[in-house]
Amino acid sequence: MFNDLRIRLRSFFRKAAAEAELKDELRFHLDNEAEKYKRTGMADEEAKRCARLAFGGEEQVKQDCRDARGTRMAETVIQDIRYALRSMRKNPGFFAIAALTLALGIGSSIAVFSLVNAILLKPLPYPNAGQVVMIWRQGPLAGIGDMPFSPGEYCILARSETVFQNLGAFKKDSFNLTGVSDPELLEGVRVTAGFFPTLGVAPALGRTFTEEEDHAGRELVVVLSNRLWRTRFGADPGIVGKTVHLNGSSYSVIGVMPPNFLFPNQEGIPPILDLPRETQLWVPLALPANPRGANELGVIGQLRTGVSLTGVEQDLENFEAVRERQIPQEKNWSSHAVPLMRQTASDARLPLLLLLGAVSVVLLIACANVAGLTLNRSLGRRRELTLRGALGAVRSRIVQQLMTESLILAFIGGGLGILLAELSLLMVKHFASGAIPHLHETGLDLRVITFAVGVTLATGLLFGLAPAMGATRMNMVEALKAGGQRSGGSATAPKMRNALIIVQVAMAMVLVIAAGLLVRTFYSMLRADAGFDATRVVTFELPLPTPKYADTARMADLYLQVLLRLQSIPSVRGAGFASVVPMGGAPDGTVIRMPEHPSANSSEKPFANYAFISPGYFAAIAAPLLRGRDINDADTLNAVPVTIINAAMARKFFPGEDPIGKQVGVGMTRIPVRIIVGVVADTKQASLREQPDPEMFVPATQNEIKVWPSMQTMQFAVRTRIDDASIAESVRQAVHTVDPDLPVAKFSTLTTLVNTSMTADRFSVILVGALGMLALILASVGMYGVISYSVLQRMPEIGLRMALGAKRSQVFAMILRNGGRLAIAGVTIGLIAALAATRLMARFLFGVQPTDPFTFAVVSFLLILVALLASYLPARRAMKLDPMIILRYE
Amino acid sequence: MYSSVEVQGETVINPHIDLPQGTLDLLILRTLVLEPQHGWAISERVQQISSDVLRIQQGSLYPALHRLERRGWIKATWGTSENNRRAKYYELTRSGMKQLEVETESWRKLTLAVAQILESV
Repeated sequence: MFNDLRIRLRSFFRKAAAEAELKDELRFHLDNEAEKYKRTGMADEEAKRCARLAFGGEEQVKQDCRDARGTRMAETVIQDIRYALRSMRKNPGFFAIAALTLALGIGSSIAVFSLVNAILLKPLPYPNAGQVVMIWRQGPLAGIGDMPFSPGEYCILARSETVFQNLGAFKKDSFNLTGVSDPELLEGVRVTAGFFPTLGVAPALGRTFTEEEDHAGRELVVVLSNRLWRTRFGADPGIVGKTVHLNGSSYSVIGVMPPNFLFPNQEGIPPILDLPRETQLWVPLALPANPRGANELGVIGQLRTGVSLTGVEQDLENFEAVRERQIPQEKNWSSHAVPLMRQTASDARLPLLLLLGAVSVVLLIACANVAGLTLNRSLGRRRELTLRGALGAVRSRIVQQLMTESLILAFIGGGLGILLAELSLLMVKHFASGAIPHLHETGLDLRVITFAVGVTLATGLLFGLAPAMGATRMNMVEALKAGGQRSGGSATAPKMRNALIIVQVAMAMVLVIAAGLLVRTFYSMLRADAGFDATRVVTFELPLPTPKYADTARMADLYLQVLLRLQSIPSVRGAGFASVVPMGGAPDGTVIRMPEHPSANSSEKPFANYAFISPGYFAAIAAPLLRGRDINDADTLNAVPVTIINAAMARKFFPGEDPIGKQVGVGMTRIPVRIIVGVVADTKQASLREQPDPEMFVPATQNEIKVWPSMQTMQFAVRTRIDDASIAESVRQAVHTVDPDLPVAKFSTLTTLVNTSMTADRFSVILVGALGMLALILASVGMYGVISYSVLQRMPEIGLRMALGAKRSQVFAMILRNGGRLAIAGVTIGLIAALAATRLMARFLFGVQPTDPFTFAVVSFLLILVALLASYLPARRAMKLDPMIILRYE
Repeated sequence: MYSSVEVQGETVINPHIDLPQGTLDLLILRTLVLEPQHGWAISERVQQISSDVLRIQQGSLYPALHRLERRGWIKATWGTSENNRRAKYYELTRSGMKQLEVETESWRKLTLAVAQILESV
């Protein structure tokens, strides 16, 4: 085997030497043979002749020897490549168009694949990533989705016998960093001691928490994120052991995490956990022995090696059984585990699959396009191919040669495609930074390059093989007989070309319809009634440090003081605060009770979001009050408890009746019910495309539950009369007059928040739109090529028609009809395919049906128009033909 | 296997036999058992030993030699011939030795079988 290769390689690469040796060897033989004859007395010339005779044809022997050494294969490949390059030089137009088409198709596939690669396929930067799962709970109430753990439930899980090697819990917390310069609000998480071992991440500096530090009294230690360490502490290598002031307490820094460790953050994790966008520090959770509290803990677990997800399920069932004994009031809850890899990618997964689908359509169109071009070309080369066949070239040899051309073409296209992909990725990164997790990690790696080579090879085979087989399937005699005429081409070739065009038009149709639906979605989102007006509204968050503001009355008092200051800023038209402003995050929710409408069965308990607001808040965000009154300063703890509900809640729970004056309260019966005094329009909370949930708004001054929801943080909305550039500074001053240690967090305009919430949608629209455009261009180029070629082929016929009296306009119409027929066939098939395909897109759409007749009609019209345009030039050329010249030429 | 030539209406037996397919390799390997040799010597030797009955088209020897070399059964080195010229010598390799045994064995079986059929009639 090795010997074989060595000899093949030697005869290939050291061809001259091998040839010389062969010549020497044969010469030696002939000389010896001649010598032998001479010794019998033959004359010199005669002896040489006899020797040659006995030997046989010398050139034939040499060729046989070369074959025996196995150089033939490699040589023909070289020959084919040379031939292909020569024919490319002779026909640069064809090759430029074909290579460009392929580059577009392959390039867009590579770009999308590298996104998929970075987001879905790359492992997370945690050593244990493959074994880590996130655990969620699901209650009997439908439509709430995954719930986090409460501290009590987590403790039961942590104490039960499970397949988890490590278990960790975390929840968001905010920390007011003081004593460095301006107070700054840092977002961090409180985690149990098992958190870091579960992920298996080692700190870049220092250490992580010990089991002892995860207890009250010992918990004043902190691990910093790499970014915080760099930006706030100047990358101080001696930071470990130093003290920082957080929320008024002294914490000692024990470690700094590596730069790529950012867990947990919002990537892929439902807003119910309300995690920081970027976690800046980690602090021990320090749960007491018998903790109480709301469902707010995220839980991760590291599986023992060799344990599958099914093993976990069994454990979680056992856990729920134990839990039900200890907390019997929670019935019918279940738990399930999601691999962390899938969890953190789930948000981005769907748009990417959409893109992957779109880009494969583009690639197929490109292939069909180039296949059409190649077919035309190989039919144009019929005479050449026939001649070569007649001279003894085997069919497989001709196919091999045509395939070599196709593969070279594919690789040129692939090379250009990689460049295009890099370019478009730069653009994607520019447009969509922040919309997609891991986006910055995209780039060419081994997997992407393997994919690129694979796609290139596959496309080469796809668009090359059919034309090569088609062009060589011919009757030699017929072809040679017809060879003198310009017309030619078998009956199957036009059929195949037409089929290719119809397929292209149909695929382009599907893609353009998809893009059209996304554009409509985007516009419906923009035009959707958000329930508020974002113009000239700024928002910010005001978190209060725990020790200073312990009880809710003091908190409410402080917020109202800040509000008064804000309202007295001259440019401010209105101001207010709420637990969450629109686009500011997920509101809290609770089971509610309505004495006038007792729910029939306990498993369908009514559920509503629950938020605190200040007087004037709805005016500040311009949310119209539909009925009743706004809350006011008279709604204090001593007055009648009141609430304002949103329109969704009125519709859902008080259909066909006036909710004003009705009673509603939280699930706990010891808390008195509230009187509904107003109905406010629905405001979108997290995204413009959401259907607003029922929500009740409670005066911040009437918080009698006290423990829930937290009033530790309120979000303010301030509307100015004019564009006020100095509003940020005025707001800061207003806050600092009340308490100079308070940080103003997340200051932003409401417009920015709205735009940010639409980033992912904008990303899909732009990319799928670009792919749809590409598909349209490719299909029209393909159509143009086929129609021009058919005009070229039908020249004698056209000449004859004109000579027999056909008008130019008739010829023009005939060619245009030809294109129109193909387009209509493609559009019809495309419509049917789109009806099936767009159903899969329903999840991405908003305010438009997957079978939106308007989009379908407009796109059909557009495609037929484009097809006619593509046929226009060839038709005009046909019209201008001079029948005399054509007929003479024949 | 005998090649017959029509000479003036009567059939005469040609004294030479064309090699049956595949036997050339066997003969080459066998010839090289004793010592390394160059191409011409191999062809001379085959003819000498077979008392000129076997006729090898001399040219066909070389592709066969190159094929055997590629398979690794023989290996080539350049040396100096009896008449002081540079010549390519072929020698048997170990795997060539094994191949020779295999082919000799199958040849024996074949001839035996053919002989039995011929004698049984």
